Amino acid sequence: MKDPNQPDKDALIFNIQRFCLHDGPGIRTTLFFKGCPLHCAWCQNPESIDPKPEMAFIAERCRGCFQCADACEADAIIRSEEKRIDHSRCTACGRCAEVCPSGGLTLVGRRWTVDTLVAEVLKDRDFFVDSGGGITLSGGEPMLQGRFLEVFLPAVKEHGIHVNLETCGCYQWEQIEPLLPFLDLIYFDLKHMDPTTHRHHTGVDNGRILDNFARLTRGAGTLVPRMPIVPGINDTEANVADTARFLLHHGHDTIHGLPYHGLGADKLRWINSPLRPLNLTSMDAEACRPVGRMFAKRGINAVIYD
Amino acid sequence: MPSSMTEGRIARLKRAVQSARPTVCAERALIWTSYHRRVANRFKSPHIRMAEALAQVLDQKTIAIHPDELIVGNYTSKRVGGSIYPELHGVPVMLDLFRFSRRKTNPLDISARDRYRLLGIIPYWSLRFMPLKAYASPWQKVRFVTNQLRAHFYLINESGGIAHLAPDYEKLITVGTGGIVAEAGAHLSQTLADDQTRQFYEAVIVIAKALARFGDRYAALAREMAGQCEDQTRKRELEAISQICGTCLRRGAGSFRGALQAVFLAQIAINLESLDNAICPGRMDQYLWSFYQKDVEQGKLTREVARELIAAFCIKMSEIIPVFSKHLIDFHGGMFNGQVVTVGGMDREGKDATNELSYLFLEVMDALRMRQPNFHARMHEGSPDAYQRAINTVLAGGANSPALYNDEVIVETMRRQGYTVEDARDYTAVGCVEPVCQGKSFASTDAALFNTPLVLELALNRGRRFGSPVRTGTATEPVSRMRSMADVTRAFEVQLKTMLGRMITDLRAVEISNRHHHPTPLTSMLLDGCLASGWCSTAGGAAYNFSGIQCVGPVDTGDALYAIERAVFTDRRYSLAQLVDLLKRDIYDPSAEAYLRGIEKFGNDCEAADRWTRYVVDAFVDCLSAFSANTRGGPYTAGLYSVTAHEFFGRVTGALPHGRRKGQAFASGIAPLNGMDRCGPTALLNSVNRMDFTRTANGINLNLKFDPHTLRGTTGVTALGSLVKTYFRRGGMQVQVNVLDPAILKQARDNPDLYPHLLVRVSGYSAYFNDLSPDMKDEIIRRSTQQPTLG
Repeated sequence: MKDPNQPDKDALIFNIQRFCLHDGPGIRTTLFFKGCPLHCAWCQNPESIDPKPEMAFIAERCRGCFQCADACEADAIIRSEEKRIDHSRCTACGRCAEVCPSGGLTLVGRRWTVDTLVAEVLKDRDFFVDSGGGITLSGGEPMLQGRFLEVFLPAVKEHGIHVNLETCGCYQWEQIEPLLPFLDLIYFDLKHMDPTTHRHHTGVDNGRILDNFARLTRGAGTLVPRMPIVPGINDTEANVADTARFLLHHGHDTIHGLPYHGLGADKLRWINSPLRPLNLTSMDAEACRPVGRMFAKRGINAVIYD
Repeated sequence: MPSSMTEGRIARLKRAVQSARPTVCAERALIWTSYHRRVANRFKSPHIRMAEALAQVLDQKTIAIHPDELIVGNYTSKRVGGSIYPELHGVPVMLDLFRFSRRKTNPLDISARDRYRLLGIIPYWSLRFMPLKAYASPWQKVRFVTNQLRAHFYLINESGGIAHLAPDYEKLITVGTGGIVAEAGAHLSQTLADDQTRQFYEAVIVIAKALARFGDRYAALAREMAGQCEDQTRKRELEAISQICGTCLRRGAGSFRGALQAVFLAQIAINLESLDNAICPGRMDQYLWSFYQKDVEQGKLTREVARELIAAFCIKMSEIIPVFSKHLIDFHGGMFNGQVVTVGGMDREGKDATNELSYLFLEVMDALRMRQPNFHARMHEGSPDAYQRAINTVLAGGANSPALYNDEVIVETMRRQGYTVEDARDYTAVGCVEPVCQGKSFASTDAALFNTPLVLELALNRGRRFGSPVRTGTATEPVSRMRSMADVTRAFEVQLKTMLGRMITDLRAVEISNRHHHPTPLTSMLLDGCLASGWCSTAGGAAYNFSGIQCVGPVDTGDALYAIERAVFTDRRYSLAQLVDLLKRDIYDPSAEAYLRGIEKFGNDCEAADRWTRYVVDAFVDCLSAFSANTRGGPYTAGLYSVTAHEFFGRVTGALPHGRRKGQAFASGIAPLNGMDRCGPTALLNSVNRMDFTRTANGINLNLKFDPHTLRGTTGVTALGSLVKTYFRRGGMQVQVNVLDPAILKQARDNPDLYPHLLVRVSGYSAYFNDLSPDMKDEIIRRSTQQPTLG
């Protein structure tokens, strides 16, 4: 058992994306932490939810050589057209991915120590400096690995790098509080105002989320509320009105809107996810304009990404 | 003049040029032949022969003034056409006489009459064209010509003529041909005995006068057309054309419009003389600036009219196309002849030289988006923000032009090559990417292309090509006895030295042959140093002389070496002998291929992999600089751009250890292998910044590719600016930005008629997508397609 009082030595990260332009100011490196307390039906990165490493199988790439079967020690390879992994047996050791010649099998989630991760993000430091960028902690929910961040963030800040946290807000206040001095910016998701609907679509109640939002607002001026705009789910007049009231109450006059797109559903086939495709049409900035107008009517400026 | 009418005229001119079918014109070849066939001319000196033959072409060629034109001049008798240079590479080109119109890539129309007349001159030239004159011995002649046609290890472009220069147009528009005739006359009167020098000055006088007469012909034609013109507006325009053409060449330009007109007519004449490749107007915003200022001050010119004139000039540049055989298209695809216009940058004192004309040229470039001229923009620490923003906006919008150049690094590079600081600051790129000093360099920047990965093949097989019993290179150690990377690199360097040595020997023979048989008096009179020294530029008369050798495939070679290091010496998965055996059998085992392809590649910010590409470039530069000067007295310099040769050289090269199978194309320029830069542009630039570009004086080509989605909006424009700034600050030399929509490219490939004028950047230049070979099209589509990834 891990000692809960000891900071984590390593983090589980499933992707590091450099040259991100839409996760905060400037040119940024975004770290995708694996594991999330929510499982939103519209999730763009469904492979981020499970807090353990997992194997993904991309059937289109498979050439049917079955070298994976020889490499697997857990006997978890299935010889069918669509599926390759018996997730009940798979230990996500990644050996099959190592031998796979076509990239059909991939290990999602790798361990990074503080030192290797700091070295990785420093690679683009020159670009951060020129563009006013930095790193963005995303996921999943980075705060699930808060014990790691307690060591990682001070190390990163020593190099003067701007840090942005993208968060769903669902954790105990005590977890984020010690990290606040190291965060330059927080993008905070408000997915739905109604507790029941929130629970229905994300699996958890929004009470703690809204509570954390309120506390963060009191703490710092660098909190940016965001909202994924999912058609028919949270773009209703009622929810927008509730959200606007909530924002105004806490002294905010801006919200960033992220139009829903269905690209995440593509990945569901690759992994063993409890989520089912939403089958909604993708939105763009144009389609989100009515939401923008609803917010504007209530005195909130909605910045819609395109 | 109302702006709508301006747009109307420019739109009409553009349409006329873009809808004209590129055609082969026989005129130059026929007039040239008729001059050389005359027995009396055969005994004249080569200088005089060149000047008189060119004068005859200028005097006799068909001329025309098309509707709407403000800037006039015709390179050929067709609206959009190319000429044949039978004394240079024309004979092999004419092997395609019956294929021009039927070939898939860059088809050219040719009339039956022209085809017949060209057939008639082949016998005369077939034993007299340049590559045959390089060597005296018949055996060597056959070897050299065969080598040129096969072109597995290298292709010597110089055997088809030299060109590649930025003439001193500032001098031409200031003193005119009259001034040059007077200068040459003064030198002549002081020259007593030296035959060569006398002949050179005499030739300069002949051709300078002929150039002025060329202008007179247009003056006369315009006057005649004005006499018959009913439309009063057009009549006045024709009268103005007549007045300008009659004076702008002889006495100096006098006005902004006169300067543009003089430059274009001279541009035609120089193209007809030395070769239709990379004759570059260069820093037009600089040498036209005083004319623009004066005309605006005197109220004779407005910004709007200047813009229209610049647009008219640029459209004319697209009328000039090169005629290549199918073989040459493999190396220089896309009907591109590299006429560079450079804007911005610093002046000779090191101060920022950006002016209103720099912006005007950028505006015209973005509005026209045509294949020529090849637009380049210089940048330095002190470039105005507005200028940088204008460029970034144009690039993020998908213009794919201009290519960007870093003054700080290039000036330092040129200084190390022997340029004075002032001359280095006055550089322009010519052709694709090669920096030269405007009006002072005769740099033969595209002298030869060298297939570097093939040298590695020799090193791994004791000097033999895979599967060949014949030894091509030097007998080096067998792989079974190589115990470390040092053994591998030693063999590689030995083979590199052998093959580069052979290339230089051939190249020197060609240089001498050019000097003796194809002097270029017109070019020389517009290059600083030639008139003063009395030497033609082909004999080393210019102030600066170089020969540029292109290292093609440095990244493939570097990645291959890293793959050997990993597979054989680190991972110990194969012995070197096993690995070579795998290569000889074209990597038949898919799991071996997957393993080799999976090894890190250049362009992903992996230091261990990147240093091998740096090693290859260093080895190439070291080896090249060990050779003594070229026959014009300047060094051989290395370039890292490949035009489209990476495709052809790839086709003739066997499998390589980084998982590249036999015949696959190499990476272009200094860009990573297709689809192998998986970590985005910042990682790519980190990799590229590990190179020392002050050593590659002949220029580099880096393609930075984006899908349009990435660079959308102001966020995209700002990010692009930051990328370029960081890359340049850390020693980057050149970069061009490609914004591609793969969907549109695929549609264009499947339905060529749908997007007839889709412009893409190929290698240091833009070409219409439809003009590219099917392989190149696929490459461009491949490089713009991203696979979905997890996360």
